[in-house]
Amino acid sequence: MQKIENKKIKETVYIETLDNGMKIIIIPKHETKKKYIIWGTKFGSIDNHFIEPSTGREIKVPDGVAHYLEHKMFEQESGIDSLYTLMALGLDANAYTTNDHTAYLFGGTNNFYKGLDELMDYVQHPYFTDANVEKERGIIGQEIGKYDDEPSWKLYINLMDCLYKNNPVKLDIAGTVESISHITKETLYDCYNTFYHPSNMTMCISGDFEPEKIVEEVKKRLLPKEKMGEIKRIYPEKEYNINKKFSEQNMEVNIPLFMIGYRDAIENENNIRKQIAIEIILNSLIGKSSKLYQKLYNEGLLMSGLEFYDEFADEYSHVVIGGQSENPEKVNEEIVKTLKNEEVTLENFERSKKAIYSDYVSEFDDVESIGRIFLQDSMRGINSLDYINEFENINIEYVKKIQEELFKEEMSALSIIRKK
Amino acid sequence: MQITKLESNKFKTNLSALFITIPLKEDECTKNALLTSVLRRGTETYKTQEEISKKLEELYGAGFNCGVDKTGEYYILKFYLETLENTYTLSGENILQEGINLLLDIVFNHEAFNKEYVRQEKENLKKLIESRKDNKALYAKERCIEYMFEGDPYATYKFGNVEDLEKINEINLFEYYKNLLENCRIDLYIIGNNINDVQIPDIKSKNIIQENIKHISPETVKIIKEKQEVTQGKLIVGLNVECENKAAVSMYNAILGGGANSKLFQNVREKASLAYSAGSNYIRRKNAILIRTGIEIENYDKAVAIIEEQLNDMKSGRISDEEFDSAKQLLISSIELIEESKEDKITFYFDQNLFEENLSVDEYKKMIESVTKEQVIEAANKIKEDTIYFLTNNK
Repeated sequence: MQKIENKKIKETVYIETLDNGMKIIIIPKHETKKKYIIWGTKFGSIDNHFIEPSTGREIKVPDGVAHYLEHKMFEQESGIDSLYTLMALGLDANAYTTNDHTAYLFGGTNNFYKGLDELMDYVQHPYFTDANVEKERGIIGQEIGKYDDEPSWKLYINLMDCLYKNNPVKLDIAGTVESISHITKETLYDCYNTFYHPSNMTMCISGDFEPEKIVEEVKKRLLPKEKMGEIKRIYPEKEYNINKKFSEQNMEVNIPLFMIGYRDAIENENNIRKQIAIEIILNSLIGKSSKLYQKLYNEGLLMSGLEFYDEFADEYSHVVIGGQSENPEKVNEEIVKTLKNEEVTLENFERSKKAIYSDYVSEFDDVESIGRIFLQDSMRGINSLDYINEFENINIEYVKKIQEELFKEEMSALSIIRKK
Repeated sequence: MQITKLESNKFKTNLSALFITIPLKEDECTKNALLTSVLRRGTETYKTQEEISKKLEELYGAGFNCGVDKTGEYYILKFYLETLENTYTLSGENILQEGINLLLDIVFNHEAFNKEYVRQEKENLKKLIESRKDNKALYAKERCIEYMFEGDPYATYKFGNVEDLEKINEINLFEYYKNLLENCRIDLYIIGNNINDVQIPDIKSKNIIQENIKHISPETVKIIKEKQEVTQGKLIVGLNVECENKAAVSMYNAILGGGANSKLFQNVREKASLAYSAGSNYIRRKNAILIRTGIEIENYDKAVAIIEEQLNDMKSGRISDEEFDSAKQLLISSIELIEESKEDKITFYFDQNLFEENLSVDEYKKMIESVTKEQVIEAANKIKEDTIYFLTNNK
């Protein structure tokens, strides 16, 4: 078992890779009563085209299949929904699907091992029939309809449509009513057998645990599986330009919502350092302590702080900046201009660095956020502790270089949702 | 000022919370809401929001937050500051002390209010009040409270109203603020590790005690239907609780609508497929329970019938062991989680103190554990359907 200690934040992380290829990450927190587990597979909405390792067969699946599969996993042959079983144990249980992974989780103060029995049982026992797959179609259709009514979700998807021409990151995670109409139990089994193999899965556990002991508990509950080769995923060719500059849609909102995106097509050697640099740039130039924010607030163009973050995986990379304003075009113009022309001063740099460092440390406050972060990062091949260490290696010259490379007007796009 | 320090080694950050408590009065809500947002715009030390933001970032991105709330017959102005624990700073700075100094500065260090800040914050508050209808579920819940508690200050919308807002300027708001500080209760809570050495000045605080206003249910259930452009109807049922055994009522609420295994969720959502969501909340300090569902408009009658059936089942004791145990498990878990969240722990202890119950989390948990099914049935018979509110469409 690999042991990584971080003296700065006084945490130790244990990583075990089992013979079947599954990775278990344990972050012990002996002071807390709450325990949390999250089990993820690297299978998300962008994985719609792949080669099955065991047969070499090339498979193309309808959009929304990862999410559909997540829904169906809870259904048991007994007819009892596993989610209710977990909740009856006083555990807070859930599952979610993103662009690049699907995860099953629960947390709580009691009944952890009973919960572990249930979690590992249902994730390893798919039960798909023609009838139960059919039944779900209406429910997911409703969910898609709900997303279609959700202004902040449409805002984001429309922005992705601006930033990418063919990349599947622009697709709705749940698919469309049309695309899910093609999903059958065979599709689900194909995907399950490929992507729910232990070698494609990671489990993160945080709480008052002894690493060796909990690994044994997990191993006891794992079903034997044959080894599997690497899954080859097929994606559209990499894009180096944005698709379009602007998107606008009318929906039920009082004050218009906007989201500005920057497409990042540059390959950098260190993604963690780059991510920290991006956060320093955004915090310094458009964050709450920035001149621009004060100006826009005083002019009544912004009512509250902007939300900004970057998202990246092997297949996509972009920065998004979102907020609400009566005049989104004006705010966009000011932000794009500032990010292009304004310099991050040394004072900005030092102050922002402290604030962002503290954000990373605070994530270790709670077992739930620990579990989620380690899983998400692990799906992208990152060890979350590296963020803490990388702060020592960052300097203002590097930040300036990233700013110049990334925040180019021609690589930016604007999405707006306005009142009907 | 009453200072409470809650030592805990569970976290990497500390949370400080300052509460200003006053009697809940209908005509003061707008001023209170506006005041909270004006205070954070600038102080005598930090003249602008930019300066405050910079100071917060220097304190390792300390998080400042403020808000207003009503509970029972009280109105509370809340100010929070979260700071990284000193141990984790890069060069051992004492940011907890500096953070608390800043928090006190934001709340107390004002000699006048800036005209421009007041004007801008009035605009913002106006937008907030006007966009109230955007969140349909929350709006429906608050409207049900307004109708149920008509004539009681508790019916007031905590952010106030646009008419009152028009009358406020920087002069009368400042006068109000000065007067408020003379006649309020002030509490400071600090939670985290290594919090004992913090120096806190003495600040004048009064003891504010409000008598609970007893709610009397109407002879027949009050029914209100409000029309708006909605696709999904929001049905809220207000129950009046005339039972002093609050632990038994908590259990009643958990069995009725506490989670996925509750009567409402199972019967309204799962079996009858009537609702997208179904659950209930216990408003402990107003002795009320609110049932909340989102339904298809045409299913109104059916949904009301099934809800009433659940209430009757509770009264006649049709509660399975499974329902009872699952509800207790859920409640116990949520109580145990109070210790795991800084904000929840502060909220719990402040509430206990304000309403003079003074229970610890553990004592509270024991009370819930000891509740029997008989006690729940007894409580059920002291719980009355009071108000039905339906947010429907124009058809």
